[in-house]
Amino acid sequence: MQTKIIIQSLSELPTMPTTIGTMAWNQTGDWRYVTPLVADKLAPCSQNCPAGIPIPRYLGAVNRGDIGGGLALLLAHNPLPGLTGRLCYHPCQTKCVRKKIDQTISIQKMERFLGDLATDVTIEKSEKTDRRVTVIGSGPLGLSCAFYLGCRGYRVVVLDPSSQVGGALVGLSPGKIEPQVLSNEINRLIRLADIRLETGAIIDFAKLGELTAKADLVILDPTGLPEDFSAPAGAVACNPFDAETVTGGIISVKLPQNLAPFKAPMIAHYIAAGRLLARKASDALRPAGLAQPSPDLPLQAVNIDNIKIERFPASGPAAETETKQEGTWDRERALQEAARCLSCGTCNLCLQCVSYCPDATIRPDGEKIAVAVDLDHCKGCGICAYECPRGVITMEDMSV
Amino acid sequence: MKKVMMGTEAATMAAKLARVQVVSAYPITPQTVIVESLADIIGRGELKAKYMPVESEHTAMASCMGASMAGARTFTATSSQGLAYMHEMLHFTAGERVPVVMVNCNRALAAPWNLYCDHTDSLSQRDTGWIQYYCADAQDVLDAILIAYAVAEQALLPVMINLDAFYLTHTSELLDVPDQETVDLFLPPYKALSKLDVDDPKTFSIVCGADLFSSIKYKHQRDTLAVAGIWDQVAERYNSHFNRLHPTVEAYRIEDADLCIVGIGTAIGAIRQTVDRLREEGLKVGSLRLAMIRPFPLEGLKRATAKAKHVIVIDRDVSYGAEGIVAQEVKAGLFEHRGDVSVTGFVAGIGGNDVTVDTIIPLVRQAISGDGDAVEAGMSLWAEVLP
Repeated sequence: MQTKIIIQSLSELPTMPTTIGTMAWNQTGDWRYVTPLVADKLAPCSQNCPAGIPIPRYLGAVNRGDIGGGLALLLAHNPLPGLTGRLCYHPCQTKCVRKKIDQTISIQKMERFLGDLATDVTIEKSEKTDRRVTVIGSGPLGLSCAFYLGCRGYRVVVLDPSSQVGGALVGLSPGKIEPQVLSNEINRLIRLADIRLETGAIIDFAKLGELTAKADLVILDPTGLPEDFSAPAGAVACNPFDAETVTGGIISVKLPQNLAPFKAPMIAHYIAAGRLLARKASDALRPAGLAQPSPDLPLQAVNIDNIKIERFPASGPAAETETKQEGTWDRERALQEAARCLSCGTCNLCLQCVSYCPDATIRPDGEKIAVAVDLDHCKGCGICAYECPRGVITMEDMSV
Repeated sequence: MKKVMMGTEAATMAAKLARVQVVSAYPITPQTVIVESLADIIGRGELKAKYMPVESEHTAMASCMGASMAGARTFTATSSQGLAYMHEMLHFTAGERVPVVMVNCNRALAAPWNLYCDHTDSLSQRDTGWIQYYCADAQDVLDAILIAYAVAEQALLPVMINLDAFYLTHTSELLDVPDQETVDLFLPPYKALSKLDVDDPKTFSIVCGADLFSSIKYKHQRDTLAVAGIWDQVAERYNSHFNRLHPTVEAYRIEDADLCIVGIGTAIGAIRQTVDRLREEGLKVGSLRLAMIRPFPLEGLKRATAKAKHVIVIDRDVSYGAEGIVAQEVKAGLFEHRGDVSVTGFVAGIGGNDVTVDTIIPLVRQAISGDGDAVEAGMSLWAEVLP
């Protein structure tokens, strides 16, 4: 920090009255009584997504041309995007703010596009531990749970008594899910999370001791086992949506009434259930001293009044057509759609705040997709919050 | 090279010879010839400069200040109402110490609307911190503008070169136009001491608290006072190149004069003829032209009036409720060292009334005898007033 230059004599005064050095010494931050808080908020689409996917984040990555990054962000909340992109009833789209301008973003089409990419991506994974988990049943819940446990470093084996992988998904008509899509999705899930999968597994539920001897935890997947399957004695029932923690060696997943029996359009709910269960299981199994990885998710919902829709132009006519088009979009169409996302509550580095800050105290934060406020100098005028068209910046009273 | 030129054309020629880099101006009678012909010259590529056609004189001066801050040699011209409209920016420019040179064509201020010669426009701007020089003829216009750039850039103060409307702006005279090579020797390119520079960011026109304000203004005052000396030095250097003197004061037949007639601008020609005429009658009369009003050339006034018992001032201007502005200045200058001199101030030749030998002689006689047609208003006597 440059210190204040004190002029001691007339001869030190510049003839032209100009600044000497910078004004950085003048820490005007102490004039501030409200503080700009730059924090991503949950977009209405994400709030309405059963799996809580941060949709504007992955669309933002696609919009920046980072399609692999977009897929990685999507997979972090949904390891089966090719399936949700075909089956899900997409409640996200009913809340899309873009509707107020022209029409909703085709989020489902975007999921399908990303899911069908024949690319592998790097996703965040924890180091391998020696803790073992066996998941019985390869339905969407079991696979989702296995995926997140695999990513957290557990040694996961998925056993399916059936000869076909996919559990309840297997019976769906090829009109809904092409068989190749199902196997592609599951193969990628297994590959990315480093999971072992055995189909045609012979499981003797009478001898649970054999199973628990090979694993620290056994999870019975209701979407991967026959509808009439009844949990063996000794299994502990667990509803992933409840606050309860996981105890005991064998977990029998009990789904709420609206999800049992399996309904294909509700696939995102099963994926969410798998992820929640993985978190519970991880809490129970985690070796002492290993920190729970914290999910990098915005917690607060965006204030819809802070989305300044009047500042966004309507899309060109091209974006308004073809949304009903069957099949998977090509890259060009997907990029066009990603560009339409208003990125509600999600900083996409539009830099409106940076342009408008009268004191240049809000600036891009290095390599990150974020801006940072120089609190030593920010006077708290609130122009950044007013100018942010997507409700990311709010003025907060930090004195309490 | 000899050329016949009007005062406005001489001003244009001087700006061209000074190789000004930015011209920002708004047209007004009788200045229009200057800015139109500069636009032509720049448009034809004869002068490598940016011409900014702006929507007002306020913007003209603001943009000249900005251009000068960026390190450019900057020129503008205006007159009367336009100068009044610049008032705020005149303070800014002088306070910021940027060496803008401006031509002002002295014209009466409204109301009532009048296009003719009157000095109230520029004299009412005397407290803005600008150097003020009043030209006597077209050659003086051309030379003074070149001298003004050298002075402004040395002192870091803006200079206003004043031309009497029509008597100077639209009257053709035979001029000696210096060649470009010699002007370049006399006036090298402007190198700003401090300027707007992305590689060395700084703020001009800063906010300043009481801790430094007095010191900054004191420096402005001290540096302005020093300009009288700087002008005479630069004018001497100009003389060495071009053999023409343009001092801050010009005394005429003053050596043994009891009576000294003081004036500014073109009227000095008629005043000198009046001196010659009255000398023929045996009156010991001399005259003094104050070429510079800011800084006020106090030493020149003292020297020229050392033996005078009576000083007459012809003002083409007035400060309402007081008297002619030049008379005020002269009285203030004499007060310190001369208790035994009487000063008579006339307000004459305003709004286009001609100041000639025939109009000045009766004023001098009235100053001596106390009897004449000029009517008293406070401390001044007004000529050309209806009975």
